[in-house]
Amino acid sequence: MVTSFTPRSLDEAIRLRQKPELTPYTGGTDLMVNPNEDASYLFLHRVPEMKRIVEDGEYIRFGAACTYTEVIKHPLTPNILKEACLKIAAPAIRNAGSIGGNIANGSPKADSALIFMVADAKLRLCSAGGERLVPIKDFYLGRKKLDLRPDELLVEVLMPRHGLDNYYHVKVGARNALAISRVSFAGIMDIEDGKIRRCATAFGAVSDVIIRLDQIDQMLDGKTISEAKELKSAYLSAMDEAIVPIRGRVGIEYRKDVCMNLLRDFLEVNGI
Amino acid sequence: MKTISKSVPKRDHAEKISGSAVYVCDYPTEGMLFGRLLRSSVPKANLLGVKLPALPEGYIYIDKNDVPGTNEVWMILKDTPVFADKTVEHIGDPIGMLVGPDEREVDRLLAKVEVEYEELEPTFDARQSSVVFFDYGYEKGDVDKAFEDADKVYEEDFETGLQEHLYLETNGVIAHSKDGKIHVHGSIQCPYYVHKALVHALGMPREDVSVAQDVMGGGFGGKEDYPSLLACQAAVAAYKTGKSVRVVFGREEDVEATSKRHPSFCNYKVAVKDGHVTGMKIEVLYDAGAYTTMSPVVLQRGIIGAPGIYTIPHLKVHGQSRKTNTVPNGAFRGFGGPQTFFAIEMMMTHIAKDLGQDPVDFKLRHVAKQGDLTSTSGKHHFPVPIPAMMDAVVKASDYYTKRAAYKNQTGRYRKGIGMAAVYHGAGFTGNGERDIIKAVAQLRKDREGNVEILTANTDMGQGLFTVFAKIVAEALSLPLERIIITYPDTARVPDSGPTVASRSVMAVGELLRRAALRLKDEWVDGQEQLIEERYKHPEWMIQFDLETFQGDAYPTYSWTVNAVEVEIDTYTGNIGIVGAWGSFDVGTPIDENIVIGQMEGGFVQSLGYGMMEKMTAEKGRIRNNKFSDYIIPSSVDFSNLQVMLHVEDYPEGPFGAKGAGELPHVGGAPAVLDAIENALGVNLNKIPFVAEDVMNTLREVSR
Repeated sequence: MVTSFTPRSLDEAIRLRQKPELTPYTGGTDLMVNPNEDASYLFLHRVPEMKRIVEDGEYIRFGAACTYTEVIKHPLTPNILKEACLKIAAPAIRNAGSIGGNIANGSPKADSALIFMVADAKLRLCSAGGERLVPIKDFYLGRKKLDLRPDELLVEVLMPRHGLDNYYHVKVGARNALAISRVSFAGIMDIEDGKIRRCATAFGAVSDVIIRLDQIDQMLDGKTISEAKELKSAYLSAMDEAIVPIRGRVGIEYRKDVCMNLLRDFLEVNGI
Repeated sequence: MKTISKSVPKRDHAEKISGSAVYVCDYPTEGMLFGRLLRSSVPKANLLGVKLPALPEGYIYIDKNDVPGTNEVWMILKDTPVFADKTVEHIGDPIGMLVGPDEREVDRLLAKVEVEYEELEPTFDARQSSVVFFDYGYEKGDVDKAFEDADKVYEEDFETGLQEHLYLETNGVIAHSKDGKIHVHGSIQCPYYVHKALVHALGMPREDVSVAQDVMGGGFGGKEDYPSLLACQAAVAAYKTGKSVRVVFGREEDVEATSKRHPSFCNYKVAVKDGHVTGMKIEVLYDAGAYTTMSPVVLQRGIIGAPGIYTIPHLKVHGQSRKTNTVPNGAFRGFGGPQTFFAIEMMMTHIAKDLGQDPVDFKLRHVAKQGDLTSTSGKHHFPVPIPAMMDAVVKASDYYTKRAAYKNQTGRYRKGIGMAAVYHGAGFTGNGERDIIKAVAQLRKDREGNVEILTANTDMGQGLFTVFAKIVAEALSLPLERIIITYPDTARVPDSGPTVASRSVMAVGELLRRAALRLKDEWVDGQEQLIEERYKHPEWMIQFDLETFQGDAYPTYSWTVNAVEVEIDTYTGNIGIVGAWGSFDVGTPIDENIVIGQMEGGFVQSLGYGMMEKMTAEKGRIRNNKFSDYIIPSSVDFSNLQVMLHVEDYPEGPFGAKGAGELPHVGGAPAVLDAIENALGVNLNKIPFVAEDVMNTLREVSR
């Protein structure tokens, strides 16, 4: 028996999430590729908290059911996220697909998740027992494995408001639209008064999860550009060692070359 | 521009744009049974047994034992079984079909069927295969002497990959059984091919079998041979159950189980004397897959075109197609031409570079001229317009300036420009039209003075109904609205031949023009009239001998010159198409918009073939079977094409028209590879050449 629900409030959605047979559904662009005709769905597009984009003191809060198009068009959306969302699929899919689905699908190729990773965004996960705020990096446990309990709902993505302006983003797909990432890279170099306040990089579509090597990136934090130049080769060789691609539609060597080429370019455009 | 070339709205435009067109999957399914094929999961095996789950009432399994006539699909040969007999020869080889009233239940039952195999050693590499399906060859002049006298001899190997048609509408048919008669309709490119196969497999009289075409969402050759197999399977089920049986594939099944373009391996040896090519020894090998389907004629076209558009005085060309345990490869736009034209164009370019000459100048010095002997010692009876077309493309693309500027680049982004010039022989190879097809076309006038076109030719979206109607209206001096043409049914149209080989407008269109002129002469107001025309072979043609491959392989040729400019990102390997220019000669365009659409579409498909469409198979299993992972170009990839038409009228074609449909799929791949070579400063021998290949090449160069 197929019984689906369309809750109108977050409370109702969380309550319904207790039913393990319901599959959370926002845009359906992944679920409808191979639809299970026996599935029952929890449609989340009418939950107000999951459809809004607002800011508070520290964060821009993106409702998990917001479509890429809604994210792209919203004035609060940082350019790095806009740019990445504009490279997803094609307009019709961007009108339906959601950032929450992109994250919770668990794919390392998720183009919006790459940006949330490099921004060190947090995920607000709600269940009947309460809620928790999980750094997105910790949310991805392994291949298609998420730190998401069966009764939890991804409600919001909290992205830091500041420090995202100086960014670098490249999506390598097999064509210019309707393309799943073959390699993707995002970098942020937040520089203030000649010093690197925060260096962050993320590599998508090359391993089981998006690669975010924050400890290596931190080598450059607090450094001036000329100090960073001196650290460059140590930084690059640490990265070279730590980035271990797996084989997919493209080979390991290709993925590795592209990751390192883009990483080097990211440093060069920042004078490093 | 002639009056007839002026564009009109396509006949299928409104119904397709409005969504009212009824495709085979749109028919109401009440009372219908659904068929799903049981397919081999192994590439080669003896078939030991099939264990069925308990089938609910109304569900039935059919296999080779249910074929009422002969368990053979008559294509060119008859080696393809309707259902596997004692062996399976490729993954996906059909073993049987489960049929029942609920499609999902059929799927569930199918998943429970167990097949017992005795696995045998499969062959996936045509070069390793010992089963030679076809072996052809020909010679011209004294090739050994040319090599003895040569200043320099070049030798290179070339490879081309699989290509999937990826028409939007998958294969599908519905078979009806009623009053001892079988009627099949569906996504069918050649209704009479299917009719012939059905009569043979069902063992029924010709008049008890009929085949009709439904509205179609593309073919590109992919529905030329394959529907004969599918229709036989559905018809056997309809025959057995006495009901209507529908079989419509999903995308994954369509990609995995239906025909592709033949992969090829070519070896070219070229003798050069005084800076001029004097002789070639060419070895061609096409991977046929598990059954022969269209392989003989694909290979014939491939070896005839192997020396390209050039007059080479001394030639020895030998070709084989061999069996592998993979999905049978069949018809695909270009039909054996794109493989060898890729090889010859790259070969000529590489020789030119080695001699320190520009490839365009080098090629122009070798291009055939009117009156020259063709590769098969036939004659170029008509002007060869390549020099003028080359000039137009050189000017439009600014070829020489760019070619020189793009040498020795070192930055991240590197540009390149390349050029290729090719032909497509119009119509069937050799005497096919006269000896095999023997086309018949009819015009039927009603009392009100409306004229209906009766041919077996199909409109798959390419615009045939529109141009047929225009030809008849023009010849009759009637308004276009008075011309009727509908999707053909073998029960009411004569066999005007298949819609293939870029023949329909040139060969059947001419029959219609002649019929229309006769009708005009014999026109009687208020009376029904039927006019019939039969194919007449041009008398000036030099008889083609299929044993020796000597004579006119084609009455005339369509020509094209393509230039492509790329920009390569050496950090990611991405190949961007900056510009693409093509001059195309298809004779008089019967409708300018339709021809330009065909040229743009084929050009894009050819570029995809060269630098994007990569099909990977592991141990005979196709890995990328979806739109998301078999990558074809989208509208934003090669958006800046410039298509120019050059018109060399063909006197035997209607209003001067010759073949159009396949020509644009021949030259794009070598042109874009030449551009990539220009950008990277290397020589390349293999397509598809994708981002990963760019990075591999850069890695090799830096070592």
